[in-house]
Amino acid sequence: MYRTAAKRLLGAGLTTSRLLRSPKLTSSTIIPSSHTSNLCTSSMSNTESPISNQSGPTSAGEGPRRKPRPEFQEEQARVLSASLRHVARLGWTEEAMMAGSRDVGVSPSIVGSFSRKEAALVEHFMDECLQLLVDRVDSGLDLQNLIPSERISKLVRVRLEMQVPYISKWPQALSIQAHPVNVPTSFKQRAMLVDEMWHSVGDGASDLDWYVKRTVLGGVYSTTEIYMLTDDSPAEYRETWEFLDDRVKDAFDLKKSIQEAKYFAQDIGAGVGKSFQGLMNGVMQTMSTRGGRSSSAF
Amino acid sequence: MALRLLSSRRRLGSIVLSYRSPLASLHSHATSFGFQQVKEEEKSKLVSNVFTNVASSYDIMNDVMSAGLHRLWKERLVGKLSPFAGMKHLDVAGGTGDVAFRIFDAVNSVKRRALRKVDEASIEETQIYVCDINPNMLNVGKQRAAERGLSDNRSLVWVEGDAEALSFDDDSMDGYTIAFGIRNVTHIEKALAEAYRVLKRGGRFLCLELSHVDIPVFKELYDLYSFQVIPNLGELIAGDRDSYQYLVESVRRFPPQERFAKMIGDAGFEKVEYENLVGGVVAIHSAIKL
Repeated sequence: MYRTAAKRLLGAGLTTSRLLRSPKLTSSTIIPSSHTSNLCTSSMSNTESPISNQSGPTSAGEGPRRKPRPEFQEEQARVLSASLRHVARLGWTEEAMMAGSRDVGVSPSIVGSFSRKEAALVEHFMDECLQLLVDRVDSGLDLQNLIPSERISKLVRVRLEMQVPYISKWPQALSIQAHPVNVPTSFKQRAMLVDEMWHSVGDGASDLDWYVKRTVLGGVYSTTEIYMLTDDSPAEYRETWEFLDDRVKDAFDLKKSIQEAKYFAQDIGAGVGKSFQGLMNGVMQTMSTRGGRSSSAF
Repeated sequence: MALRLLSSRRRLGSIVLSYRSPLASLHSHATSFGFQQVKEEEKSKLVSNVFTNVASSYDIMNDVMSAGLHRLWKERLVGKLSPFAGMKHLDVAGGTGDVAFRIFDAVNSVKRRALRKVDEASIEETQIYVCDINPNMLNVGKQRAAERGLSDNRSLVWVEGDAEALSFDDDSMDGYTIAFGIRNVTHIEKALAEAYRVLKRGGRFLCLELSHVDIPVFKELYDLYSFQVIPNLGELIAGDRDSYQYLVESVRRFPPQERFAKMIGDAGFEKVEYENLVGGVVAIHSAIKL
């Protein structure tokens, strides 16, 4: 649902994560005039600086030209991406972000301007993983030959494997996400992730079932994520994947058993209703035959 | 005498027209000394006189006028800056060192060092430059440093200089703060341009300044307080009514929050934001050079 809406609004080639990264207004914010051009030039940002260097000498006659200024969001994204390389060593902290900013060639002061600093790094990572997942699915992750429960399993597994390089520091990331200030954003990111997974599986439900499915998958995902934190099994988290398969099976069984419980309740209701009706008919009959002796109309 | 009257009337005429264009309103800031009109060349001298007079009682008067709140405001400024070990910071118009000392403490506090993995070398590299146009204010600052035992510390450097023409290299500073100083410069846009010049890429600009209040009843109370109470306090405590009259008038003449934010954007900064404290009595403008 989010994905189709996003595609409609922003056009292909843009990530849904852009929606999450819109700047939050505190008391007041001036939006630089180049903001609207951001959406069109996001893919060009990495090639901007070499182009400007080349055009320097040729424009000497025009007087001092300002080099094209990158949008702040681009710069922030670049710094955060570079910071991820340092997370395994320094954790999800300002130090990692400062090291990342030095890699990009920007003063570490910029970290001071990120709102909710460590949370910005974690949220950026979550967005990137979601985008990677979408890309993997689009570029032909083999889902056709699998039944729905296996498809879900595979998707969750692909997503969780992205966290493997950071697994030693992942508990810290979870605690950052659980901070009351950060809960709204992390909840939204997880909701989008779960929605994306069901979308990839090919689910088209739009009634109450929609919420149930996403809640259940959210639960499965979170429990598997936490299980993975303490999993020491030798062959690349084998036990985690077994745990995942069991939970997904339970979830599907749960769905089936809810359905069965519904039918069962209907049957019982029907049965009781029928027997009650039978009883009433019997009573009426008896009353009418008894009354019939005294009246000849019936 | 008649000539002077003529020229002042002409200037008055130009002032009426000036409110129509931003350039002219900048001009009006350059030629205003509080509510008086003065020549541009004279303004910096007049401001200098003010601060020479108030230097010794500057800190006490700050405490009295703001009921101690100015400390909280400066804490908030430094908090927003998030100083880190090894940073090169410039505090302009920071004569008595309030902001500089807070940054120094933030970087060197033992608690911070324990919590974060910082090595001694980068703490050594930290440089906090305090720049002020008025040597008297700098002397008060150096005195306070001596009282704290920091007179020999290489991290704090006291420099005499003009905010409109800084003596620092391009792209050399990680942070630039100016607390209660920018309304005293003659040409605000020059000070902003200089700030842009000395900051590195990714460096932050932070400005703490008295600003405009819009909340209906509070505005009237604030005006009453400013114009009735503060000059009298100045007379009582510092023995200088005129300087504090200048102070409250210069606050009213300074551009309001939105316009100042626009000026900062025009100087080339990105992500310009401001935060009002105490309903607009004080505003912290922040921006990044990219």
